Amino acid sequence: MAKTEVLLPLMGEGVNEATISSWLVKEGDKVTKDSPLLEVSTDKVDTEIPAPASGILLKVSAAEGDTVTVDQLLAIIGDSTSDLDASAAPAPSPKTAKGIPPATSTQASVAKSTKPQTPSSANAQVKSSPLVRKIAAEKGIDLATVSGTGLHGRITKKDILNHNPTVTTRPTEQLAKVDSPAPQIPAETNDRLTTTFDEDGNELLEGVAVEREPMSRMRQLIAKHMVDSVRISPHVTTVFEIDMHEIVKSRESFKDEFFKAEGFKLTYTPYLLYAAVEAIKKFPIVNTSLDGNDILFKKDINLGCAVALENGLIVPVIKKAGDLSLSGIARRLNDLVVRARNKKLKPDDVQGGTFSVTNPGGYGSLTSNPIINQPQVAILGIGTIVKRPVVYQDMIAIRPQMLASLTFDHRVIDGEGGSKFLACFKENLESFSAKPM
Amino acid sequence: MAKDYDLVVIGAGPGGEVGAIRAAQLGLKVALIEKREHLGGTCLNVGCIPTKALLASAKTWYKLQNAEEMGFTTGDISYNWDKIQARKDKIVDQQRKGLRFLMKKNKIDTYEGHGRFVSKNTISIESKAGKKETINTKNVLIATGSRVRELPFAKSNGKNIQTSDHILSIEEVPKTLAVIGGGVVGTEFASMFARMGSKVTIIELAPQILPSEDGEVVKEMVRNLKKQKITISTGTKLKGLKDDGKKVIVSCEGIDDQNFDKVLLSIGRAPVTDDLGLEKIGVSVDKGGFIPVDEHYKTKAAGIYAIGDIIATPALAHTASAEAHHAVEVIAGHKPQTINYDANPNAIYTYPEVASIGMTEETCKEKGVDYKVGKFPFAPMAKAKIEDAAMGFVKIIFEPKHNEILGVHIIGATATEMIAEFALGKILETTVDEIAMTVHPHPTISETIQEAAHDALGGAIHM
Repeated sequence: MAKTEVLLPLMGEGVNEATISSWLVKEGDKVTKDSPLLEVSTDKVDTEIPAPASGILLKVSAAEGDTVTVDQLLAIIGDSTSDLDASAAPAPSPKTAKGIPPATSTQASVAKSTKPQTPSSANAQVKSSPLVRKIAAEKGIDLATVSGTGLHGRITKKDILNHNPTVTTRPTEQLAKVDSPAPQIPAETNDRLTTTFDEDGNELLEGVAVEREPMSRMRQLIAKHMVDSVRISPHVTTVFEIDMHEIVKSRESFKDEFFKAEGFKLTYTPYLLYAAVEAIKKFPIVNTSLDGNDILFKKDINLGCAVALENGLIVPVIKKAGDLSLSGIARRLNDLVVRARNKKLKPDDVQGGTFSVTNPGGYGSLTSNPIINQPQVAILGIGTIVKRPVVYQDMIAIRPQMLASLTFDHRVIDGEGGSKFLACFKENLESFSAKPM
Repeated sequence: MAKDYDLVVIGAGPGGEVGAIRAAQLGLKVALIEKREHLGGTCLNVGCIPTKALLASAKTWYKLQNAEEMGFTTGDISYNWDKIQARKDKIVDQQRKGLRFLMKKNKIDTYEGHGRFVSKNTISIESKAGKKETINTKNVLIATGSRVRELPFAKSNGKNIQTSDHILSIEEVPKTLAVIGGGVVGTEFASMFARMGSKVTIIELAPQILPSEDGEVVKEMVRNLKKQKITISTGTKLKGLKDDGKKVIVSCEGIDDQNFDKVLLSIGRAPVTDDLGLEKIGVSVDKGGFIPVDEHYKTKAAGIYAIGDIIATPALAHTASAEAHHAVEVIAGHKPQTINYDANPNAIYTYPEVASIGMTEETCKEKGVDYKVGKFPFAPMAKAKIEDAAMGFVKIIFEPKHNEILGVHIIGATATEMIAEFALGKILETTVDEIAMTVHPHPTISETIQEAAHDALGGAIHM
């Protein structure tokens, strides 16, 4: 009988582990090849893992909330339920599955020993102490739900004894368990406040009743990245007003044709990205990173485009945007946005950005002062397009106007460089004449 | 113009000195005020360092006397007390110079004189000659330490009735010595002078010497001290001392008066908080003379911190250093971990040495804590025999549910070095299982630790 092991796939450069968010299929259920089997969350993205084969999900080897490493066994899919008993036999080690003899070579044994060996693998990933782990085992406490006050967030005896298990019965528990496998985010981003409890057990902050909801892992990471960036880079913002007449005209004349040909709507964003790429080519200083006393000029232009999600934000990257036409950018952007909203992004999709664009204009914002996405040195903020009376060719005319801001790292870029880039971006848009297809 | 500082440290003992250096490392402009001519406080000048220097000589003397067993024929041997004293003075002097260098290296301004608060931000310094100057500061770390405690009815005179301050520089080894107070200081001196040939009597008010140590350890210590011909009189109340110029008559309740060449008064130490001008900053001391502080060593007055022997934590040099390090990091805006006093080790440099951490069996019983004991003697261990140190044991007191280590008590050679393993173990919340699992090098005395852990888990190997 054919059995297929489901291993955690390599999801991108430097992504070695993931936390299981939820199983979409139960043990004993039928699965079809390539249908979503489970959702996992990594440092970079939340994504689905498809079934590698069709059959019956015989056994689930890693529970929701567990942190698993690449190649670790997640589940077994078999032909029929009669395989179930056989599957209870010890699962072969992941390395064996790949054809390396079991534990005879040092390499294999080292690889094995680096894997979590206790059943509560999530507990092994959290910084704690031998004593804490024993207390956790006795009381059945998932250490991922305990916040540590020790050095670098270590969970101490005091923390686990003070841990209030009633907190985990709240409706937000699922969220906490799934999204925060370890309190690894440095304390500086989440200082603890002193709260009290009233007689009914309601938590109070400075006398005001509060409902405590743990931050999702994505939220925690955003918090950390934002604090880090503000600390690392001296931020300066410059704002230009741009006449969008030519762009509006171009989109109006091509959008129907575009939709017929491509199957999705032509928005303003590809125009803006295209104009930004062309400006970056002229002012490559905005497409750099600072490394000690050296400036690293990036040979590719990889555009990070901020996409709002239900409870956070993700910045998928259009790789090698410098080689793409306007319609090429539009296609790639559409693909990334659709996958971001469906949680289908791969970690590689969000890595390697060299310059970022954020577009709060979609929500009506006129201009913004965004935070640089480290280790980049600049981010372009796009405002909404509004029709305004302006002086145009010495007359008052109604024109579609837009504010664009460039926030840049003043260590690398001066006001002159930032303004010249933005002036070029403006010029590219105001004198736009190319066909979008 | 008065100089301005970020931090003024009053007292250059092991607390103040560490605080000043750490503050300078963190970028603060620091002044250090010391009343004594030398830096280093009690520890370096009249405490830890000179006593241990004398104890090292006493240990060598003992080894020489027993060298026959190791295969040496020594003939007539003798010691020169002046040279032993000179060696001690040299070590102390070298350490003092080292401290001066560290202050210079860290650009810390040192002031010699008595520091007092004029206000929260102004400190006056009065030199021995009576010269006064003031300096301004944002923060103050009070680290004035302690002085020898005196009895109202039996005062030291620096002649035949001495304190630890005097006896360290004693010109010759007394033939007979009475030690009033069998605490750590008294027992260390008793042990040292007994080895150098004095006839020593310890007089202790409490029912046992070393009152805060584990009963089993103290019993073993008493057995050893008695073997060294030390007379121990516990539960004995001193009535008075009379120095007639040649001898001291020691009167105690319930026993006949006895004559001694010298008397050492070692009944404890008292915090130095009385002449600091604390009233100027609205800080008052408690009944014991200690300054109340929070877990970050902040006093009631903003920007004023106190550490070491002047607060109600263990009066130990290493404790003061740790507290100063913490307080100064807080002043510099850091968020250090609070000190875990359960992980604070004690070290007693008697022969044999004693070291301990955490709870004793007696405190477990008193507090109703459920506990078990793992214990292993030095005697079966090869290295202990090799080093002629077969006397001693390691005792681990643990909580049987999770095997949490509650206390560890070691008596015997290298005890004061070996306790460091448990200081780390306590910080990391190690349980007996990890100690048993830790491979200890062979042959060493530290193997006893692993065996005691094995014993705790029910299976010592070499017994």
